[in-house]
Amino acid sequence: MKILVAVKQVAALDEDFAIRDDGRDVDSDFFIRDLNEWDDFSLEEAVKIRESSAEPVEVVVVSVGPDEADESLRKCLAKGADRAIRVWDTCIEYSDSIAIARVLAAVAKREAPNMLFAGVQSSDQSFASTGIAAAALLGWPHAAVVSNLTCTPGANLAVFRRELEGGLLHEVEIQCPAVLTIQLGINTPRYASLRSIKQAAAKPIEVLSLSDLALGAADVGEAGSSSRVRRMYVPDKARAQLIEGDAAQQAARLAQIIHAFKGAAS
Amino acid sequence: MVSRTDAVTRILFEAFSAAEVRLFYLLGYAAIAIFGYGVYVQIRKYRRGAALKLEGGLWARFGAMLSSVLSHRTIERRDRSAGGAHRLIFYGFVLLFAGTATITLEYDILEPLFGIRFWHGQFYLVFSLVLDIAGVALIAGLAFMMYRRGWMRLPKLDYARPDRVPGDPDFDRPQYRREDWAFLWILLIIACTGYVLEAARLVWLQDRADIWDTRWWSPVGALLAEGMRTAGLGERGAGLLRHGLWWFHGLIALLLIALIPFTKVKHIFTAAASLMVRDPLAAQRLPRIPDSQEQVGAARITDFNWKQLLNLDACTKCGRCHEACPARAVGAPLSPRDVILSLREFAKSTLESGVLPDAAELDIHGKAPGQVAMETLWSCRTCMACVEICPVAVEHVPIIVQMRRKLVEEGAMDPLLTKTLQTIHKTGNSFGESKRKRGAWSKALPFPVKDARKEPVDVLWFVGDYASFDPRNQKVSQVFASLLQEAGVNFGILYDGESNAGNDVRRVGEEGLYEVLATANVNALAGASFKSVVTTDPHSYNTIRNEYPDFGGKYEIEHYTTLAKRLFTEGRLQVTNPLKYRVTFHDPCHLGRFNKGYDAPRELLALLGCELVEMGRCKANSFCCGAGGGRIWVPDPVGAEKPAQNRMKEAAAIPGLEVYVVSCPKDLTMFEDALKTTGNEGKFVVKELIELIREAIPARRAEEVPA
Ligand code: SF4
Ligand code: SF4
Repeated sequence: MKILVAVKQVAALDEDFAIRDDGRDVDSDFFIRDLNEWDDFSLEEAVKIRESSAEPVEVVVVSVGPDEADESLRKCLAKGADRAIRVWDTCIEYSDSIAIARVLAAVAKREAPNMLFAGVQSSDQSFASTGIAAAALLGWPHAAVVSNLTCTPGANLAVFRRELEGGLLHEVEIQCPAVLTIQLGINTPRYASLRSIKQAAAKPIEVLSLSDLALGAADVGEAGSSSRVRRMYVPDKARAQLIEGDAAQQAARLAQIIHAFKGAAS
Repeated sequence: MVSRTDAVTRILFEAFSAAEVRLFYLLGYAAIAIFGYGVYVQIRKYRRGAALKLEGGLWARFGAMLSSVLSHRTIERRDRSAGGAHRLIFYGFVLLFAGTATITLEYDILEPLFGIRFWHGQFYLVFSLVLDIAGVALIAGLAFMMYRRGWMRLPKLDYARPDRVPGDPDFDRPQYRREDWAFLWILLIIACTGYVLEAARLVWLQDRADIWDTRWWSPVGALLAEGMRTAGLGERGAGLLRHGLWWFHGLIALLLIALIPFTKVKHIFTAAASLMVRDPLAAQRLPRIPDSQEQVGAARITDFNWKQLLNLDACTKCGRCHEACPARAVGAPLSPRDVILSLREFAKSTLESGVLPDAAELDIHGKAPGQVAMETLWSCRTCMACVEICPVAVEHVPIIVQMRRKLVEEGAMDPLLTKTLQTIHKTGNSFGESKRKRGAWSKALPFPVKDARKEPVDVLWFVGDYASFDPRNQKVSQVFASLLQEAGVNFGILYDGESNAGNDVRRVGEEGLYEVLATANVNALAGASFKSVVTTDPHSYNTIRNEYPDFGGKYEIEHYTTLAKRLFTEGRLQVTNPLKYRVTFHDPCHLGRFNKGYDAPRELLALLGCELVEMGRCKANSFCCGAGGGRIWVPDPVGAEKPAQNRMKEAAAIPGLEVYVVSCPKDLTMFEDALKTTGNEGKFVVKELIELIREAIPARRAEEVPA
């Protein structure tokens, strides 16, 4: 059995940061990069399946990202992934989640796993669509926000649970190969000690280009995306003021403010 | 008379049949053979541990061991009466043993081979006097030890374990108590029968003038002999008594020799050997993991090196570490003594057998007898109190940390600790703050603090996480910076070039992260130009001073207390407003015990005009605030007393105490909290020594004092 786990190196923001000159993203100088929190859980889930299985299970992590992403992949290798694949090409930059999903789907076709795990969402972009889009492109069954999973390697069916409104649980069977997006809290991700990360540095990371996946520049980047970021900005701070005085004074002041706003709007 | 004295000698096998003598020799050889086999088994056990190359010359080590053993310095500490009694037993035993051994030397080797005899005449008489006195010393020491064990009810001699519950097979280990008593009784019986034997021999041979006339050279024996005669014992009776007792005494003595390697008696050798291989920096400088080594930390008993296995056998169960341990004192499931004893039992049951058991059976982590539980290991604050007081140089801290390394590797730790380690890896500090903000505290100062990476300074101040990021400690940092400025010290800091020093990360057991941090700091320091390093943080101080040299970073480094003291003696700082406070001083583990910085803070307090009242547990016996070993990142269990609270109560008992003085950022945090939670707020205050210095030297202009 093979499980492909899609992971992403996300960017967290430093205390103060600046927007890039083109106004479409934060200046990468201010990024603190790390493995996406959700992916920690999906990787752990895959590794747990391998550890509890009698038959051999291979856990392969894949990331679409530049060189820096190796650091996160190495962390995944330290936590127990057997192999790591990184796909990059400069034209992948500015891809939206659908274009990234196209790359992941191509990797999935190449690897032919029994399951593809992805985190529910990434903490920096929060589209929550990459995994599901990959499923659509592959034509595989899928489920989002999985919070419990039972899967016996070798079996064609996996059973998972999802949390619904009102404390309801949804128990679902799914036919493999399938795509599951994994929710936080499904397990307790293990700690990757620095020594294990260092030792994982010895394991190779396979780097694929678009042509390895039979994709072209038109499939990714802005050309292959169906959405485009126009700008990224910090909204003006909302204003608040405390109205003092007795009830009558407060009401009068309130009316004044409302009038002022109405005036501005018209 | 002269000739008679000259003829006098030790009566050995007199009146024994040849068969009896042969039998005795046979038994003697058997005892020695059993002893030899036992020694072989023990040595084979130690050799099953990992390799270790000791630093330093053998003779220097031997000399140091001999001086500890002969002076009883380590045994006497914090327990004078036990030390004194042990000294009596030790010297009594050594003399008596040496006496017996020299007789064997003469009788079995020198005389038959070379015809040399010295056991007669004046020499023999003086020797019997000395041995008689030695016997008294031995009996007196043993009697006191029996009284101590039987009646003094010392908590440290209670073998009940804090990491087990009643009903567990190894909860209070009654077999230890039985062994203790058996040992005392056997020695006592050997000593007493020795006297009775001597007396019986005198009575039996009272007609031989050479013997009878010189009897008072053995005063105790002579006295007993007089008693026997008064009681009507005749020569024949005495002869029979002597014969029987001779065998009894001899057999017990041989039994003792045979049993040495198998019982606590072996501490005679293991303790001495352990003292000989002592590492004076055992807790201060933890062992590196060679790059070639796959296995990280101690998972199996064989992962300990031979010296550590020897350490386990050296423990005399004296309980001093048990008594000193702050974790044990507040009811945590840890006693350093029991970690050692547990592992010792484990080593005994696995490594003494002919063939080494399977790897799975060598696993030391867990809750089965002999194993050490995770909670136990995580309770340790690596405060070094145990290592410091152990009379036989057992080094608990590296053992505990090596076991923790294994837990870290498996991720078997508190989730909060996992988070902190990840944070430190990501941001270089435990606060999860941006690197850029490390020097932000200095912005509140009316003068710029130099960036030592950009301009040369005399003194490089390694600030550390707490003093850089914790709001309360930032205030102290600001005060210290202005004091340095006023004293005209050319100093600077590393700003965002500094990372967490790693002292506590290493003591948690995250060696890989420690390597990253230490290397980063050594590189940052290499990029700065300075003459010496000062630090306000004893934790950073310890690791930079003792551990960075292993990473290529050798600096002249001091804690701020010695620098401040020098600034006073040089007149660069002057007390203008002497403080009249009644204070007590808390020695930080990493400044005091770890690096022996006991004096500078006290001298500073005297300079400031404070009246210092010591707490009972001070200097080497200072009581850890509970923050060490990474425990500052893991909250203590709710409901249970915290070490800092325990300490606050001790301080609160000082009448009229005004200030509880600390000189460590973590102490400030821990004790200010404990002051509140123990309800002592308002009674006295907790202050950094730096703040007291500021008070005694009001800033020249009010606006120079940062808010
Ligand atoms: S280092 Fe301190 S806390 Fe740890 S076992 Fe020793 S005395 Fe106890
Ligand atoms: S380890 Fe040392 S201090 Fe602790 S009980 Fe044993 S001999 Fe005593």
